[in-house]
Amino acid sequence: MKLSEEASGVLSTFLRQYKIPEKDAKELEELVSIMPSDRKQIYKNVVSNPVGDLFRYSIHIRIQHLLTFVTFLLLAFTGLPIHYGDAFWALPLNGLLGGVDVTRVVHRTLAAVMVFSMVYHVLGLLAGSIQRISQGRFDIRRTIIPILKDARDFMADMSYFAGGRENRPEMDKFMYKQKIHYFAAAFGNSVMVISGSSFLFPEFWNSILPVEYASNFQEFMRLSHPHEALLALLVIAFWHWYNVHLAPGRFPMQWTYLTGKLTREHQIEEHFMEYLRNLAELPNERAYLRGVLLEKGLQSPTAAEDAMQNTVFADYREYLANKEIEARTAAAEEVGSVEEGR
Amino acid sequence: MKKIGLLISAFIITLGMPAISQAFVDDEACLMCHKYPKMGRVTSEGFQKSYYVMPEVFSKTVHRNVPCRDCHYYIKQLPHRPVEEGVRCDRACHSITNPSTGKPFNHKSIYNTFKESVHGREKKETGLENDKPYCIDCHTNPLYNPDEDVPPPHIIERCVVCHEDDKFANRWYNHTSRRIREVKRDSQEIVALCSRCHEDQEMLQRHKKAADEEGREIGEKYVIAAESYKKSFHGKVAQYGDKNVANCLDCHASAENYYMSVHELLPSRDPKSPVNAVNRTKTCQKCHETADQSYAMIDPHPTFRKELNKFNYYSETVYNWVGNVALFALMLMSLVETIGRKRDGVSWALRRGTTWRGRGFRKNKR
Repeated sequence: MKLSEEASGVLSTFLRQYKIPEKDAKELEELVSIMPSDRKQIYKNVVSNPVGDLFRYSIHIRIQHLLTFVTFLLLAFTGLPIHYGDAFWALPLNGLLGGVDVTRVVHRTLAAVMVFSMVYHVLGLLAGSIQRISQGRFDIRRTIIPILKDARDFMADMSYFAGGRENRPEMDKFMYKQKIHYFAAAFGNSVMVISGSSFLFPEFWNSILPVEYASNFQEFMRLSHPHEALLALLVIAFWHWYNVHLAPGRFPMQWTYLTGKLTREHQIEEHFMEYLRNLAELPNERAYLRGVLLEKGLQSPTAAEDAMQNTVFADYREYLANKEIEARTAAAEEVGSVEEGR
Repeated sequence: MKKIGLLISAFIITLGMPAISQAFVDDEACLMCHKYPKMGRVTSEGFQKSYYVMPEVFSKTVHRNVPCRDCHYYIKQLPHRPVEEGVRCDRACHSITNPSTGKPFNHKSIYNTFKESVHGREKKETGLENDKPYCIDCHTNPLYNPDEDVPPPHIIERCVVCHEDDKFANRWYNHTSRRIREVKRDSQEIVALCSRCHEDQEMLQRHKKAADEEGREIGEKYVIAAESYKKSFHGKVAQYGDKNVANCLDCHASAENYYMSVHELLPSRDPKSPVNAVNRTKTCQKCHETADQSYAMIDPHPTFRKELNKFNYYSETVYNWVGNVALFALMLMSLVETIGRKRDGVSWALRRGTTWRGRGFRKNKR
């Protein structure tokens, strides 16, 4: 496989940031060169464990997702009967909890748990990012932050589905769909928290707002809370649940939210950049893929030419050599300065 | 056997007789006719009217000591003539003395206040004025709390040491304890009461049209007052059964002189109205202690009608569009993806280590 410019960029950054040993990089170079350029051949032929093969989400992210979706569903379950209090279906739902007065208390309590989950998430993200930056391992392409490539990926993916391309785009750890969903949820949650707090603490909100906007703000919040809730519920039901439960290849569910792991075929198909990182980091994965390619005769017929073109590895070797020279020079200078001191 | 039969017959007859309370003295012989439950008629407008008086109930009401003809003063003979005007509440009750003045008791003071209010009217009115409420549209002849039937003996025993007549002591106890406990309607009842007229769109439009034609000023929310209140936070909480949430009168009547003020409701453009722009913050502060001028700007009668609130109207329109477009765009994206991947040969579930068991029907370009 001849690596694309983008894939080379991702791999180059990863090899340097994670200080991948030269031996591993060499192994990866050979593996990449024999990988077929038609990526479909790879993900269609690997064996995946339904509960996941490759690590994706930390326990913190899984807890945050669990807290958010449980509170979200219960908030919808309690909030809708409060909003549509006089609807025929609202009465029994409110009655189930002991009346609308109880539903309101339950709703607010759940909201507090959801806010906690949001705070936990934001603090976790900040801490994780600070840690990665301090270790020199931060790569914006590997984060959920939208970049221009996502728009290109979206167009390319649609083109692929419409039959206009041979392969799906090489997407990173978070593809365009996940970024849309994440920011929709983040925006929705923020709207719900701000609007909900404007109902609970109207005096506070209006004390910080100019007189001329006070009424519009409150009414806009009153409009936003149920609209956003309903939209979120419908998006979750018709899009998110479809994507993770019903879409082809995902039925009956992806286990990622529980195990934190993604299946191998899914990683290769939709997160190829992250799979390259996995190959660089995990010797077992390299060995496995090499075995599959050899066993099924999927080696690239142009492996030797491709290897010549994949200059990322040669660059990395040069980078390591320069590093070593720098280190030796620094050590020699240190020895020299110590001797001079004597 | 005959005796037993007579006894049973007497018992049945007794059961069928109207029960007349010992406490109620019918000196004017009104019950001669009005004791019959079917005493009534159907008016020319088709309303069924009942003239049945239940003495055992009447004797527990606040007007129990007022003889019928103090209010129904136009009854001069029995059987009486058809009633033309009915009871006016501004008349003096000659049989009851106001203990504070020594003069016959009357409701004139509150009646005159009411007449000055936006609801003010005469007993007999025609046209638009007749739509306004008269005293009895809001006030019934309330019962004393049945629990007060027997005032605490230790109080009455003490009263009769000087006041001799225990009936007087009972009356005094009923009267004062009712005021001390501040018996008044809860929010749901008040909203229901006001909504009887303020939700009658036919009537409201009639008044709005007349005001527009005459060039009279009328509140812009006049026609949606009840409807918009019910959609507000106050309205919703009232609907959920909260007894203390702000109802119509909590804002539109002054808290300082509540019982008088509810009778002199004024339009919000009147500077004396508690909901006039100059008084609004103070009115909000009755419940929302930290409310400021910004807070008082929150509309307690929110509406999404374009002619009344363009901001709300367009916000809702944009929200609907954005929501629908976003949802359908995402669903369309899923559909395209599904078709694309199915064509590629993916199966629905991951089994035996792969979802790519199918052959797919994608034509390879190469």
